Amino acid sequence: MEKYEKLEKVGEGTYGKVYKAKEKATGQVVALKKTRLEMDEEGVPPTALREVSLLQMLSQSLYVVRLLCVEHVENKNGKPLLYLVFEYLDTDLKKYIDSHRKGPNPRPLPPQLIQSFLYQLCKGVAHCHSHGVLHRDLKPQNLLLDKDKGILKIADLGLGRAFTVPLKSYTHEIVTLWYRAPEVLLGSTHYSTAVDMWSVGCIFAEMARRQALFPGDSEFQQLLHIFRLLGTPTEKDWPGVSSLRDWHVYPQWEPQNLARAVPSLGPDGVDLLTKMLKYDPADRISAKAAMDHPYFDGLDKSQF
Amino acid sequence: MEFDFDLENPLLHSNDNFPLLFQIETDHMPSKAYLHTLNPADSNFSIRREIVSFIHRFSRNFDPFSSYLAINYVDRFLSTHIISDGKPWILKVVAISCISLAFKMRKTEFSVSDFQDDGGFILDSVTMERMEMLILGALKWRMRSINPFSFINFFISFFEYKGQISSTQALKDKATEIIFKAQNDIKLLEFNPSVISASALLFAVCEKSPLQLPCFRDAISSCEYVNKGNLLKCYNLMQLEVGMDAYELDDISSSSCTPPNVLDLQYLSSSTSLNNPLSLTTTGEIRS
Repeated sequence: MEKYEKLEKVGEGTYGKVYKAKEKATGQVVALKKTRLEMDEEGVPPTALREVSLLQMLSQSLYVVRLLCVEHVENKNGKPLLYLVFEYLDTDLKKYIDSHRKGPNPRPLPPQLIQSFLYQLCKGVAHCHSHGVLHRDLKPQNLLLDKDKGILKIADLGLGRAFTVPLKSYTHEIVTLWYRAPEVLLGSTHYSTAVDMWSVGCIFAEMARRQALFPGDSEFQQLLHIFRLLGTPTEKDWPGVSSLRDWHVYPQWEPQNLARAVPSLGPDGVDLLTKMLKYDPADRISAKAAMDHPYFDGLDKSQF
Repeated sequence: MEFDFDLENPLLHSNDNFPLLFQIETDHMPSKAYLHTLNPADSNFSIRREIVSFIHRFSRNFDPFSSYLAINYVDRFLSTHIISDGKPWILKVVAISCISLAFKMRKTEFSVSDFQDDGGFILDSVTMERMEMLILGALKWRMRSINPFSFINFFISFFEYKGQISSTQALKDKATEIIFKAQNDIKLLEFNPSVISASALLFAVCEKSPLQLPCFRDAISSCEYVNKGNLLKCYNLMQLEVGMDAYELDDISSSSCTPPNVLDLQYLSSSTSLNNPLSLTTTGEIRS
């Protein structure tokens, strides 16, 4: 890795440490992610090959963080390792929302910016879904921002076995449950693109509220947060729900008025959010359909 | 999620996103500059021939899709790297690394010892790993090659929509056979995978149900993603380059529209001509 100068640790990704680094030859600032994929006796490990090549394909989109290259290095014990080199962006949506909630000048996020970020998020998610790939861990920390250009990019596409989404991260940080879809929390084994749309809905609401919509600290509490706002789901709202593996008997809550949870959103915004937070995954709006929702009517889509 | 690479469905679990395939197919082709060097006077010509022959030899006990993918990797690798000194062992290392990458992408079980040949050539893992990384870098890790097989279902669906095909499997099998042959033909490498795919299917229809050829040709020609000029050029070239070969191997049935020899070709082509901007003679040749 002598090609790069490590500048600072910028995060604990789900899969390991992420460093901000500078490529010595060009001065380009990049994000370095060490994978835990060690080379085996027969060259490049097959899982790494399949997953990184998929990541490469996805990162062609402007709304997915670009994988610049893959470096092959030897660690201290002479074992070869793979580093993924991504474009570097200096902030993420979590930090951005935090800066509007706390600090010297708390203020709402500009509505046009929420609209633009949400559109870009839907566009990036639609791109992943069109390739048959689910993100499965969308959250504000995974959405990087180029503040000057107003661009949002999806990061940390975790993919599959070589990078399995763990309950605890590599560094024992608790993986957040706040954006997790109810079918995942209830132990559904066949989940689909709708899991990402649930997360998109939670992120949308969080941009409008400047705080998380469902801040649960255990899987059970997470479900209760959801049920208290949206009502405890019934077989009528969501056929098959009571047959899911982790379904129990829950207190019966009535659905609350969602508009009150996001007072800064207009009727179109609330309507889109409602469609993203449908209980039945089959009813939940797709990323592509969301892009055509009237909420985005005022947006100049030609710029994207 | 599994991330196996299926040549027919390069995008995971997503069989309906053909516009995207057309959009990115050229990212998975050899460069024009490289194709220009593939003439007998240039060393690349024999280098490619040698590597391809190693690939066929080393992968003879495996399914042919892996060697197809490996040869695509070779062409794209040679598009960015010049092998000035064609020592046989270097060519073998390139061949083995490309097959090994293709096997890994396709989740094919193999062992490096499968690649030992009679000459006692044994590749050590360090050399193979280095060559794999060199190839991956040259190909920018774009290993999920969009290829002619990726478009077969798209073009077949065109036909089915018109309700004209009884046995799509027979057509697919024939087109597959032609696509494999086309990779051996340097002149056909310049065409987009989708064009190769469409031509191969036309060719297959021509053989399996020649009466339906005009309808199929019209259906394919009306597809917004297909460049008709290139399709015409490719199809005619395929007739010349691959067609004859195919018929030498197969029984020539009475329904065949490719004549077995040049004399017949002249005879047949003078006998029919349709009054159509893209007309098709009974020889199966498309004319503009």
